[in-house]
Amino acid sequence: MEVISLFIPCTVDLFLPHIGEATVSLLGRAGVRLIYHKEQTCCGQPAINAGYREHAKKAAKHFIRVFGDDEKVVSPSGSCVGMVKHHYPELLAEEPEWRRRAEELSLRIYELSQYLVDIRKIENVGASFEGKVAYHESCHILRGLGVSEQPKRLIKAVKGAKLVSLNAADSCCGFGGEFANHYPDISESMVKDKVEDYLSSGAGVLLVSEPGCLFNIGGFISRNHPGKKVMHLASFLTENHKTMNNTR
Amino acid sequence: MEIKTEQFSEVAKKTLENAQSFAFLKLRANFVRTRRETALSTFPDAVAAQAYGAAIRAEAIARLPELLEEFEKNALANGARVFWARDAKEANEYIVHLAKERGIEYVTKGKSMVTEELGLNEALEKNGVKAWETDLGEFIIQLLNLPPFHIVGPAINIPVEKVRDLFLEKVNLKEPTLDPVQLGYAARLFLRDKFHRTRMGITGVNIAVAETGTLINVENEGNIRFSKSSPRTQISVMSLEKVVPTLEDALHLVRLLCRNCTGQKLSAYISMDNRPKKNDEIDGPEELIIVMVDNGRSKIYQDRLARHAMRCIRCGACLSSCPVYRQIGGYPYGWAYSGPMGQILNPLLLGLERTQDLYRATTLCGACKAVCPTGIDHPNLFLQYRAKDVLGEETFQGKKRPPMERVFFRVWTWAVTRSWFWNRASRMVRPFINKEAREGMLRRVRGPFEGWFRSRDLPAMAEKTFHDRWEEMQKVEGRKTEARR
Repeated sequence: MEVISLFIPCTVDLFLPHIGEATVSLLGRAGVRLIYHKEQTCCGQPAINAGYREHAKKAAKHFIRVFGDDEKVVSPSGSCVGMVKHHYPELLAEEPEWRRRAEELSLRIYELSQYLVDIRKIENVGASFEGKVAYHESCHILRGLGVSEQPKRLIKAVKGAKLVSLNAADSCCGFGGEFANHYPDISESMVKDKVEDYLSSGAGVLLVSEPGCLFNIGGFISRNHPGKKVMHLASFLTENHKTMNNTR
Repeated sequence: MEIKTEQFSEVAKKTLENAQSFAFLKLRANFVRTRRETALSTFPDAVAAQAYGAAIRAEAIARLPELLEEFEKNALANGARVFWARDAKEANEYIVHLAKERGIEYVTKGKSMVTEELGLNEALEKNGVKAWETDLGEFIIQLLNLPPFHIVGPAINIPVEKVRDLFLEKVNLKEPTLDPVQLGYAARLFLRDKFHRTRMGITGVNIAVAETGTLINVENEGNIRFSKSSPRTQISVMSLEKVVPTLEDALHLVRLLCRNCTGQKLSAYISMDNRPKKNDEIDGPEELIIVMVDNGRSKIYQDRLARHAMRCIRCGACLSSCPVYRQIGGYPYGWAYSGPMGQILNPLLLGLERTQDLYRATTLCGACKAVCPTGIDHPNLFLQYRAKDVLGEETFQGKKRPPMERVFFRVWTWAVTRSWFWNRASRMVRPFINKEAREGMLRRVRGPFEGWFRSRDLPAMAEKTFHDRWEEMQKVEGRKTEARR
């Protein structure tokens, strides 16, 4: 049985724990054994994004100490995976031993849909949903990890669900961490566009695979379009679960 | 050109409030994107073609000092004159001196970003030499006294009605019309007269070829060719990074430039010159003077990371792809270069202190990096600039961040490396954060978060974190296992 180490981003741990539970449920059904290191905290993105590289380095080393020996690490966030995968080796470039460990880890860490579809060859997770859904291509999943087909395949395999096209699906929603708070005029205008595209897509629910986008789009919808729905893909796939089928 | 990079947020707000430019920006972005993609698809392998461009620019920048010397040697051998300008002041003074020496009343200018950077027009006019912009877009914004809205289409945001009124007033347009062809014709007649009598033309340079000393300009209106070929004196102003090793390299960059810039396979005019006219030739400029502008570039070259920014060939693809530029247009960036390419260049050329917003007003979405034909990693550069600023790096005038922020990250780091403290601290802040939570959502949180909560909610902090829930799940699992026994 494959052993998977769960990397639950701090945003999910503290604000959106149901996404963590959905991840557990999906991976459990995929027939893997899960481990969860209680020592995990934050991957260090806030620090590197604010320019505090030395601080981010310390977070990176902590992460590597915690996850460094795991066979495979899976997380329901593309930007946190991208941080580990792309930024750790670069941050630790001048410390050969740490760099080696970071590079090794970078090959063993996956975003959730990437793991399910590419590694486990699973598309149909046995979920069902009657209606139209749209998918927002989060920047760090699409351009950061090159993951786009995988979540869409998972959605298309949901019984009864119809994936409709979303205008400018690959356009940023305007989150960008501190950007959203510091430049509200621009950020609001961006998320407004995203939500308008969602509303005109005819979908009953908008799916995202990134906690950051969920905060932003979900937060805007909660305030301005209550009743409209935006969900993390993992939550969507665990609703109305039946049995899991391997496609191969 | 006046530097207004510090007014970023203010100017951005104005654009967002201007419904007309707002609607236009969105419409245009889709159009440009489709055109660019279609043009790129004419390459047998577009990804490889872009990567090839990145390799050419990477090599050119790595070998910059050597290539510049080779270029100078060949340009001199061809009969051109070369002047190295350390900064804007030196470049402007030299060009003013050339104009004065020749008794020039006005110069005709081809569209060029580097002369915007230098503020050359202002320098010339201060010394009694009129500078006529001859690119239609530049001509319009010169008459309107506006900065460029876009590096390639400086006046793309000006409504046609405004152009009509402007031309009626200043360009001898006889009858009011909204027909772009007639408006263009009026500008053409007006500018033909300038070209007819011009004695000095000033243009920029798209690509300089080291092995041949060739200067290449890419355009669609023919005004650069006119500015280069009609007057007695041709001045080509180039920033140092424009050089590439070979003519073959240059031709590939031309292919990329046209496709990424305007979605064309080739632009209408591509001119290459090596030298002034020979005695037995009937046309061409009698003297060719190349002004090589450093203006901070040697310093950028010394920094191995920042150096990447010098790969830029000014195609403008990153502007159209940028979701922030698509909201706010070119004015907020406050200087010659706008959009992502401006966000990576302006901070290096002007210093990090007064360009704070340029490398912070980005979501790091990477759309710019994805379209760049020279392989620039804009998001990574933004992070590097922020790091330089935090360290207060003197070379680029880093400012150092406010003390509160520095303390925050010190505490944060302490917590992140100690999970027991991290978990305890998050439990401790929860009641304060959740104070005004309603139905699991926060509509407001005290502290520096007004920007977020102005139009967005946030889920309240969970009463049970995932961490807690996992422990419970384990207990349940444990009981199940025991029961099975």
